[in-house]
Amino acid sequence: MVNNITILMGGIQGEGVVSAGINLMKTLSKLGYYTYGCRSFSSRIKGGNNTITLHASTEKILCIPDKSDIIIAFDDETIPQNIDKLKEDGLILYDSTLKDDGYKDYKSTPLPMTEIAKTAGSTIMKNTCGMAFIGRILGIDRLIFEESIKEKYAKKADSIITQNLKALELVYNHSIDIQMDHLILTGGDGFSRPLMIGNEAIALGALMAECRFMAAYPITPASEIMEYLGNLLPRYGGVMMQVEDEIAAVNMVIGASYAGTRAITATSGPGLSLMQEGIGLASMTETPLVIVDSQRVGPSTGLPTKHEQSDLYSLYYGGHGEYPSIILAPASVEDCYYDTIRAFNLADEYQCPVIILSDLSLSLSPQTIDPLTYNEDIINRGKLMDKGRENFEAFSFTEDGISQRVLPGTVGGEHHVTGLEHNQLGLPSNDSVNRRKMMDKRFKKIQPLESLQEVCLTKNHKESVLLLTFGSNYGIVKEAVELAGNKYDYGYIKVIKPLPKDQLKDLLDTYKKVIIIENNFHGQLAKIIIGQLGYKDKISSIHKYDGSPFTPFEILEELGGLI
Amino acid sequence: MSATKDYSNNVNPTWCPGCGHFSILRALQIAASRLEIPKESLVSVSGIGCSGRLSGYMSSYGFHGIHGRSLPIAQGIKLSNKDLTVVASGGDGDGFAIGLSHTLHAIRRNIDMTYVVMNNQVYGLTKGHTSPLSDVGFVTKSTPYGAIDSPIRPGILTLSSGATFFAQGFSAFQEELVEIIIKAIQHKGFSLVNVFSPCVTYNKVNTYQWFRHQLVNLQEDENYNPNDLQGAFNTLLNTNGLCTGLVYQRVDSEGRSETNDTPLSKLDLKITEEEFNRLMNAFK
Ligand SMILES: Cc1ncc(C[n+]2csc(CCOP(=O)(O)OP(=O)(O)O)c2C)c(N)n1
Ligand code: SF4
Repeated sequence: MVNNITILMGGIQGEGVVSAGINLMKTLSKLGYYTYGCRSFSSRIKGGNNTITLHASTEKILCIPDKSDIIIAFDDETIPQNIDKLKEDGLILYDSTLKDDGYKDYKSTPLPMTEIAKTAGSTIMKNTCGMAFIGRILGIDRLIFEESIKEKYAKKADSIITQNLKALELVYNHSIDIQMDHLILTGGDGFSRPLMIGNEAIALGALMAECRFMAAYPITPASEIMEYLGNLLPRYGGVMMQVEDEIAAVNMVIGASYAGTRAITATSGPGLSLMQEGIGLASMTETPLVIVDSQRVGPSTGLPTKHEQSDLYSLYYGGHGEYPSIILAPASVEDCYYDTIRAFNLADEYQCPVIILSDLSLSLSPQTIDPLTYNEDIINRGKLMDKGRENFEAFSFTEDGISQRVLPGTVGGEHHVTGLEHNQLGLPSNDSVNRRKMMDKRFKKIQPLESLQEVCLTKNHKESVLLLTFGSNYGIVKEAVELAGNKYDYGYIKVIKPLPKDQLKDLLDTYKKVIIIENNFHGQLAKIIIGQLGYKDKISSIHKYDGSPFTPFEILEELGGLI
Repeated sequence: MSATKDYSNNVNPTWCPGCGHFSILRALQIAASRLEIPKESLVSVSGIGCSGRLSGYMSSYGFHGIHGRSLPIAQGIKLSNKDLTVVASGGDGDGFAIGLSHTLHAIRRNIDMTYVVMNNQVYGLTKGHTSPLSDVGFVTKSTPYGAIDSPIRPGILTLSSGATFFAQGFSAFQEELVEIIIKAIQHKGFSLVNVFSPCVTYNKVNTYQWFRHQLVNLQEDENYNPNDLQGAFNTLLNTNGLCTGLVYQRVDSEGRSETNDTPLSKLDLKITEEEFNRLMNAFK
C-alpha cells in the first residue's frame, strides 16, 4: 500500500487521454484524495503525442514529483518520450495493439484496452478502459466508476452507458499476470472535494466579486477564463464579449468599469504588451481595472503552450511614464479564487489597475481543492458615492490620496476624466505644481500596502535559509523542502507590487540567506527586490527558463550549489 | 427645458480661431438641449487629437481616452449602463488610422450610441501630418512630395461594414449638423456621423470655401431615399463622398440585443450560498 502515486498517461492528442486522466482525478477527489495534474501539449492542434501526469495522495499536494510510478501508453511515442520520468521500479502499461515496448529493464505488460473497448461496442472507450485499469490497480471499487459513468453520460443514449459499463466489467475481470499489489492506495478521507484549474477559480472569483462584464481576446493560457465567464455571465445578467483585440478589450473594460460595472479582461504576454497604454490610462483616470496575466514563454510568440514567469519587468516597467498599480500573485487554485475577489476590492479601493498574475502551470493544472468558503460580505467598493456635489472634484487632494468617485448617471456629479495630466476637476492642466501634487497623490494611494504582511511563510526553525518564490512554484518548493527533511524555511510573496517592504526587510534582516526561485532568465523578482531594498549579498536566485516548471529535485540540486 | 449653455463648462477651447471643431461642439450641445438629455445621463467620450479635446468642453460626464480608442471605451460605458446617452467623437486619424479596426467592429456590434468623426483630412494636433483621409497629392510635413496612397472612403467603408446609420455634415452648416446629430442620437443602434471640419491651420486645400463648392446637399434632393442602401452607395460613388445629410438609415435597426433590461451597473448582484454550492458542485 502507498499513500501517494504518480501516473503518466499518454496518447494521441484529441483521442481523449487527457479527459480520461481528468475523470480519474475527479473520481479520486470524490473519494477524498488530493490530486494534482500536469498536461503537456503537442504543438499540433489535433494529433501528435500529449500526456497528462497526475499525482494522487492522501495529503495535499501542489506539484508533480520528478518520477512516476506508472506510465500508461496509448500510442508509440509516450514511452520513449517519457521513460526518463519513470521510477526504476516503475510499471509500464501499454495498449496491446502497440508493438512490444522493448523496455526490458522495467516491469511492463500489455493491456487489451482497445480490444476490450471494441468488444464492448466502440474503440472510443479505450481511454475509459485505461482509466478503469488504473482504478483497479489503485484498488478502487468498480461501483465507484459505475456511478461516475452513469452520472457523466446521464444525458446520453442508454446504449452509451451500457457499453461503458460493459467495458468496465471486462476491465475488472481481465486477469493481469503482473504483481501490482504494492500500488494499492491507502484509503482517502472520504470527503468529496472539487477539482479545478486556476483559470476556472479566477472566473468564479470574478463572478462572486460581482463582476458582470468581460471583454477579451483568446490566448493560451488565459482563454478558459473568457470561456467559463462566457457561459456564466449571461446567466446572471452579465456580458462576456470576444472583441477585436486586446487594446479594445482593455479599453472596453475601462469604459464598463468607469460606468460602474465591475469588469475584467484576461490575457497572456502578447496581449499584455498591447494593453500597456490602456493600463496607463486607467491609472491616470483612476479607474478601477482588473486584468489577469497568465504568463507563458516570451518574448514575442515564444513558446505559447509552455510555462514561464517572465512578465514581472513588463508589468513593473513596461508602460510609459510612472503610475501606481497592484500585482497579486496567487500560488494555488484556492488563492486564484480569493485573490480575484481581493483584486476587485483593491481596484475599487485604490482606484488603480490591479493585475492578477498567474502562470501557465497555475492557470491550467487541475488540482483537488479545499472547499471555497462562501461569504456574504466580501464586497468593498471604496469611496464610491451615490450623490454628486456642485463642481465635483473627482481628483481632489485628500489625506490618503484617494478621491471620492461618482458614476455617470449620478445627478450633480458630472465631471471629466482624461489621460492628460489634469486638475482636481479632471480638466487638462499644464501647471507644474499641480503635476507634482497629482503624481504624489497617485503614488500615495497604494503606499499603505507596503506595510502589509504579504509573504506567506512556513517555518521549520532549523537553518537560517529562506526559500522565497511566487505563483505555481510554491507547491514545488514546498515539496522540495519536505524531501530535503524540512531543513529550510520557505514561502511565497502574494503581492508583487507594491512589495511588502516592511515584512521583506524584516525577513532579510533575520535570515542569513534568502534564495529566490522563479521561472525566467534574469531572476526578475530577485532583481526587483534588490533594486528596492538592497541586501544584494544575502539574496541569490535560482531560475529556470526552458519552458517547463521546476521539479522538486531540480530545486534541491540547485540549492546544493548555493548552500 | 435645458439650454445649450447648460451643456458647456465655460472652458475656453484651445482650438485655433476658425477651426471647424467649434461648430461640432456647439452642434452637440444644441442637440443635447433640444433632446433634453439630462446632463448626468450624457457621456461624451473622445479620442486624442485637437478633436479629442471636445469632451473637456462639455458639461456632462466626459471621458478623454487615448488615441484611437474612444469607441471601445464608449461601448464599454454603454454596455455597462444602457440608460446613458453615449456620444463618442474624434479625428479622422483617430477613427480611420489608429482606431480603424475599432470603428469597423463598433459598426458590426450596432450598440446604441453615436460616433462623430471630426474629419479635417489632416492630423491637426501633431501639427500637420497626413491622414488616411488626405487626398492624393496632399502636401504635409510627412508627405513633403505629396500623399501617394489613395484615401479611405469613410462612407463606402461604413456602409459596406453593415452600418445601420450613416450621415455627413459640414461645420459651416450648423443647423443641418444639429439635425443630423439629433437623428443619430435617436437612432436605435450605432450611428456614425462624418463631419467635414476644416483645419484652418494645416489644411489649405480642403477649406470652407472648397467644401462650399464641392458638397451636394442630399436634403435638397426630394427623390433621395436614405433607407435605400443601393442608392446610398451610388450617391457616395457619384459625389466622391462629398455630400451632406442623412445618407443611410436602416429602419428596422433595434441596436444590439442586450441580455436583460436592467443596466449592468444596476443589477442585483447577490449570489446565494445555495447558488454558489450549485456552481461548485459542477466541479465534483
Ligand atoms: C499611440 C499614439 N500615437 C501617436 C500619438 C500622437 N498623436 C496625437 S493626435 C494624433 C493625430 C491627430 O489627428 P486626428 O485624429 O485626425 O485629429 P485632429 O488633431 O486632426 O483633430 C497623433 C498621431 C498619440 N497620442 N498616441
Ligand atoms: S490645428 Fe487645425 S484642427 Fe487643430 S485646432 Fe487648429 S485648426 Fe483646429
